Amino acid sequence: MLTEPTADGSVELAENPPCIECGLCREVCPLFAVLRQEHLSPRGLALLAEREVASVVFYQCTLCRACKEVCPVGHDPDGERVRARLVARGVETEANRAMIENIRKYGNPFGPLKEGEIPKTLTCC
Amino acid sequence: MSASPSANVEPLAGIVGAENVSTALEARIACSRDASGLEGECLAVVWPSHPEHVPAVVEWALQEGVDLVPRGAGTGLCGGATPQRSVVVDLSRLTRIGPLDREGRRIEVEAGVVLGALNRRLAPQGLFLPVIPGSHRAATVGGMIATDAAGLRAVRYGTLRDWVEEVTLVDGLGRVHRLRGDALSSAVGREGVTGFVVKAVLKLASLPTRRTVSLIAFDDEEALLIQRDRWLQDPQLTALEYLNRHAAGALGWEARPHLLVEFDSDRGDIHDPERIAALWRARDGLYPVLARRGHPVIEDPRLEGEALQELLRWLDAEGIPAFGHLGVGIVHPCFRDGDGRIPALYERVAAWGGRVSGEHGIGLKKKGWVDAAFRAEIQQLKEKYDPKGVLNRGKLC
Ligand SMILES: Cc1cc2nc3c(=O)[nH]c(=O)nc-3n(C[C@H](O)[C@H](O)[C@H](O)COP(=O)(O)OP(=O)(O)OC[C@H]3O[C@@H](n4cnc5c(N)ncnc54)[C@H](O)[C@@H]3O)c2cc1C
Ligand code: SF4
Ligand code: SF4
Repeated sequence: MLTEPTADGSVELAENPPCIECGLCREVCPLFAVLRQEHLSPRGLALLAEREVASVVFYQCTLCRACKEVCPVGHDPDGERVRARLVARGVETEANRAMIENIRKYGNPFGPLKEGEIPKTLTCC
Repeated sequence: MSASPSANVEPLAGIVGAENVSTALEARIACSRDASGLEGECLAVVWPSHPEHVPAVVEWALQEGVDLVPRGAGTGLCGGATPQRSVVVDLSRLTRIGPLDREGRRIEVEAGVVLGALNRRLAPQGLFLPVIPGSHRAATVGGMIATDAAGLRAVRYGTLRDWVEEVTLVDGLGRVHRLRGDALSSAVGREGVTGFVVKAVLKLASLPTRRTVSLIAFDDEEALLIQRDRWLQDPQLTALEYLNRHAAGALGWEARPHLLVEFDSDRGDIHDPERIAALWRARDGLYPVLARRGHPVIEDPRLEGEALQELLRWLDAEGIPAFGHLGVGIVHPCFRDGDGRIPALYERVAAWGGRVSGEHGIGLKKKGWVDAAFRAEIQQLKEKYDPKGVLNRGKLC
């Protein structure tokens, strides 16, 4: 599971209760609402994370945590950490790479922008 | 799970569209289990987006020599939707609702419609489908028909069987049947072994305008059962839910046996809708909470009279957390994995003349406990609807 030390060496203090696969969170997930596929639902993602499947499907999670809100055991999908580990393993979408690079270089996800300019492309994960 | 599956799904893409079929590892892992945690091997997943796709998927399976597993929301608790080197047909994309016949109080829905979504849609019309399993936020109408779901209000409204007028069933030869009346028993509660429920016409009830609840703690099960019998006489009773002291303690309630009862009148002590909703939310989350605390194996025996009292006493004495729809005699003891007392439970239930499955179904989990008459009945249905054995192979018996 995803409770190992974080990249900066700190240790997670709060335990993340594992998903017990009840499926009660399916319908609040915006990703599942659109695609209606089990591997793109909170339960499917939790199972894939538990099995350490290195997949770009994790980049589709919006990190909204609506699933955690309704989860009777309070399971946190922990999408940021899952992605950080994927990036460390070289599993990343092109869009994510561009977004992170833009944030690092320009302080925003869109890339170079002049004062007042409205971005034409939204680079997202 | 093997990295490369062995079903040739290319022709399927031509039937349902390439985006509606997958052999990707992610899809196959996610559909390899249901909420029971029983796992099998999934060769591929298909997501029909129209009921009309389903007969062609069955014909493909017959040609390919693979078997198919119908899947709704995968909230089933007995491995019914678990594949065994099978192709999973996930009906979650069949979500059309309507038309509504307001006067006749009936509605046509596709199999993947989620109960919670349906009832939200119906609420402004003052109507609802009153069979409410604890999984109502996720369970599909197709899965509920296939398991003949019961749930929190079974004491008043019965099981799904009582609310289905017509089922459109695609059988194991790809034939389409419109089942009504007595013929419905070929589909309702058959856990997908006779065919795919792709559409249904459901009967609806009037949404109560008033709802109150009482939450009462008792000294022991005996006193609780006496009060249960009194409340069962009340025509305004809509739910009668039980928690033994071990289950109540897990929710942070006083560790005593409790009844949570609901009335569609002012009879209950709690009138505040928010408090009522919070109590029902806690009740919905009870099984997940017990599973999280190390009791993931949930059972669903159904008993009445002396035997029910015996069962409750035994569970209490053994320290087994249990809850359930006591109004209709369904109890959910929850066990640790591999608990040796599970067979003892089944043996007791059989000896007492009860049913080993009150609502969750048989699936893979309980098929060793069905009797010869049930087996013969299923075999007869199989010969009629699925002679090639394409549907939910190895389930029920
Ligand atoms: C927290 C929790 C609480 C629950 N509470 C209750 C409760 O109170 N009462 C109750 O009865 N159950 C309850 N259940 C069990 C489960 O939710 C029900 O059995 C439900 O009806 C299953 O619906 P589903 O869409 O998830 O079906 P699935 O789990 O996907 O499938 C269940 C079975 O039906 C078959 N099937 C699914 N869809 C179709 C279809 N369209 N055509 C043919 N066969 C199909 C599958 O092959 C499988 O055998 C609960 C489960 C959980 C996790
Ligand atoms: S994340 Fe929570 S609500 Fe969702 S399936 Fe897992 S345990 Fe159930
Ligand atoms: S955090 Fe991710 S998995 Fe959870 S509801 Fe949001 S999109 Fe879905």
